[in-house]
Amino acid sequence: MRLFLESVGFGISAGALISLAAVGFTIQFGISNVLNISYGPTLTLSAYLGYLLVLAHVNVWLTVALIGAAMGILSVLYNRLFITPLSHRGGGFVGVIIGTVGAGIIIQFAITLIAGPSTFSYGRQAGRSVFFLDMVFSVTQIILIGIAVVAMIVYHLLLTRTQLGRGMRATANNAMLAQACGIRTQRIIDFAWLISGFLCGVGGVALAITTVSFDFSLGTTFLIYVIAAAVLGGIGQPYGAMLGGLVVGIGSQVAGTYTSPAYQDVVALGLLVLLLLVKPTGLFSSGTAGARTLAQG
Amino acid sequence: MNPMEYYVTIIAVYLGTDLIAAWGMNLEFGVAGIANFAYILLVAAGGYTYAVLTLGSSAAHSGFQQYILGVKFPVVIAILLAMAVAAGLGIVLGLTGLRRLRPDYQALTLLIMSIAAGVIVTADNGLFNGNSGLSLIPDPLASLSITASAWAYVALVAALCVVSLVIVRRFTAGPLGRTLRSVRDDEQAASAIGKNVVGLRILVQAVGGALAGLSGALLVGFIGGWAPGSWTYVETFALLSAIIVGGRANNMGVFVGTAVVLIAVLQGVQYLPSVPGQPELVPDLGWMVLGIMTIAFLWIWPRGVVPERRPTYDSLVEVERSSPSSPLHVAPRRPHARPRRPAPTAEVAGSSAVLELTDVVRTFGGVRAVDGCTLSVGRGTITGLIGPNGAGKSTVMGIASGFVRPDQGVVRLNGRDVTGDGAHRRARAGLVRTFQLPREFGGLTMIENLLVAIPNQRGESALGMLLGRSYWGADEKECLDRAMGMLSLFGMLDKANEYARRLSGGQKRMLEIMRALMLQPEVLLLDEPMAGLSPLLSSRVEEACTALRATGMSMLLVEHEMGAVERLCDHVFVMAQGRVLVESSSLSELRTQQAVQDAYLVG
Repeated sequence: MRLFLESVGFGISAGALISLAAVGFTIQFGISNVLNISYGPTLTLSAYLGYLLVLAHVNVWLTVALIGAAMGILSVLYNRLFITPLSHRGGGFVGVIIGTVGAGIIIQFAITLIAGPSTFSYGRQAGRSVFFLDMVFSVTQIILIGIAVVAMIVYHLLLTRTQLGRGMRATANNAMLAQACGIRTQRIIDFAWLISGFLCGVGGVALAITTVSFDFSLGTTFLIYVIAAAVLGGIGQPYGAMLGGLVVGIGSQVAGTYTSPAYQDVVALGLLVLLLLVKPTGLFSSGTAGARTLAQG
Repeated sequence: MNPMEYYVTIIAVYLGTDLIAAWGMNLEFGVAGIANFAYILLVAAGGYTYAVLTLGSSAAHSGFQQYILGVKFPVVIAILLAMAVAAGLGIVLGLTGLRRLRPDYQALTLLIMSIAAGVIVTADNGLFNGNSGLSLIPDPLASLSITASAWAYVALVAALCVVSLVIVRRFTAGPLGRTLRSVRDDEQAASAIGKNVVGLRILVQAVGGALAGLSGALLVGFIGGWAPGSWTYVETFALLSAIIVGGRANNMGVFVGTAVVLIAVLQGVQYLPSVPGQPELVPDLGWMVLGIMTIAFLWIWPRGVVPERRPTYDSLVEVERSSPSSPLHVAPRRPHARPRRPAPTAEVAGSSAVLELTDVVRTFGGVRAVDGCTLSVGRGTITGLIGPNGAGKSTVMGIASGFVRPDQGVVRLNGRDVTGDGAHRRARAGLVRTFQLPREFGGLTMIENLLVAIPNQRGESALGMLLGRSYWGADEKECLDRAMGMLSLFGMLDKANEYARRLSGGQKRMLEIMRALMLQPEVLLLDEPMAGLSPLLSSRVEEACTALRATGMSMLLVEHEMGAVERLCDHVFVMAQGRVLVESSSLSELRTQQAVQDAYLVG
């Protein structure tokens, strides 16, 4: 039991980060029907940009906020100047996926070119430990979990309590109809990409803070967990991604504890594959997403 | 062996194996529209199978490497089995797309599978020897000198490239290629004209998989090793990139793309001097160029260096102009491959209804779109189905044609229960629909859109695949005559070679109707055929309907244009809120009824 709770504790820390990034990833799919593979290299980019600020003695939590804001703005531009024109020009969904892979490769290469293949560290000490049940958290982890929880709550309130959030849900559901209803979908889409980029920036820096050291492959490796969480929760569904992140985080940690650390990813991804074979639309999806309403022809 | 020869043979084998894989992937992606992001898995599976079938027992390596099976088969058998394993895996992956899954979910599922497989293979030591992979795979031509063996291998790969091209062409050219491209352009419309989309996809996944397996086996046989690191999902994108740069659905284009992207760029950079201290820099540069090239082509030339060919049929247009024939009256119904239904015997003919829907119910979420609807279409009649928006007319059309499965109720065609049959089976049985919004095959020309709809073309069959043009050439000519006849009947011969996506809205609607007629249906379901048509085209459709009825065809017509309904229909059903409100043989009589007026006003 003790071992179990311990691994659950590690899982919560990991899961909070995955959730944060997965919500950002899933928003893009939900609002723009884009599977953005360059999301991984963008996480890496955030970590490296954050490293520059930390080097310049900027407070680490301020760095998180600053990078979040910067990546939010970049993300809007990325969608406006790259994703949207590409989907009009290059042949739809698959073309855009391929385009984002290309963009991801370019980002990752540019990082390697400038920063080199060596590893970097934010150099944060683990600090005081906090015990809860049999779980152990460092103060940094607690703060990061807190950031993730607050971000999720704010996002939830945004979706349900504000006009903008309702517009986002409407646009995700049916962009054309939303536009016909007088919703300014372009603004909504921009806003969604802003949030998505913000979460990506925060996620990337947070990831770099928690890992001992990182290199250019940081985000690409992490993207596997992010995609797993988003798909598990039903891609395009923000709440699903939150829950999916926790499930993937805790699941892989517990599995790693009871088998061997080498099997951590195997178990997580193996379960995901099984799930996809049984229910390809994910655990928490409404079920209508998989089959289009065919009645309208 | 001098260094020059060494490099040339390596490059030649890489080119050959990449080419086979790229052709296979192009068949799936470019021709059939399957975004198989797990394609590289199939190549890897072929390579692994070949390795374990030629390495001999695992024990011989005294614990140096572990793998399953471990036997020593002749090379030819090993290659064939590698192809079989990859084809099988391709089918399994294809099955994930069997359920009516949105293409983006399919792509995502396959991508996940590919990533997951990479992680699982490298983590596990017992099955695939983990990250280090397999080595010491014997040279199949070891009896020759090193130089001779290398060149012999090049010759072998070259020969198999030619064989692969011949096989791929059987699927990309001719009627079968046309059918596959129709599935690519619009799956639902393809099943509406009787194409077995699932079957076709499985076929393509099997063939694409077999080619992937061949490619993997040949590469592993040459380099003598199998490393999981060289088969990651990024490699799938390299293949896709080659296809996009070269030209989708064009085998020649894929050749160019492979030579440029996979060989000149990705292999070429290996011959650049490496930067001291940064060994990864040069290969990374290759990937960067690949990324930039892919985006540039998607952005500026999405059709690639050698774009998909547009088949044109100019000479025949002239012939047809001089001797217009009416396919509606003259052409005999094409025999179907298997007995579609019992000939209308006495008891079946006893009921004069050719199509009957009994108490069908369909709910979407909480909405009962169709709520216990019963209607029938009399043989040789035009039956109207009218009602306010949201009455459930289109859902009824979907249920009748097999696109929407009813929650309850029975659909009968000629007295036979067809409720369980999918859309393509019903289309083959003579029950064909058109769509409310035209669903043309945009990447096919007008004439190809009509040709593809003809049932049981010789060129689509297994025999046609094996025997080639000599078997289906004459049949194709006959089909072309019919399609041209149809175009001339509707006065659209001049658009024969225009891509369907470039047609106007009205022209697309006409195309939709013509395409359905190419199947010579027994019952035609027309979903608002007049909407958005000019008065001229509209009257042409009306004339055609009347003429078709005279040939014995039955029609169910959903239409808001009441004048047309009044002129055409022998019988009219009025629907509101998912039910049939009233029916009558006279629209003018219905117009006076209070219930009908209420339904339209209240809606």
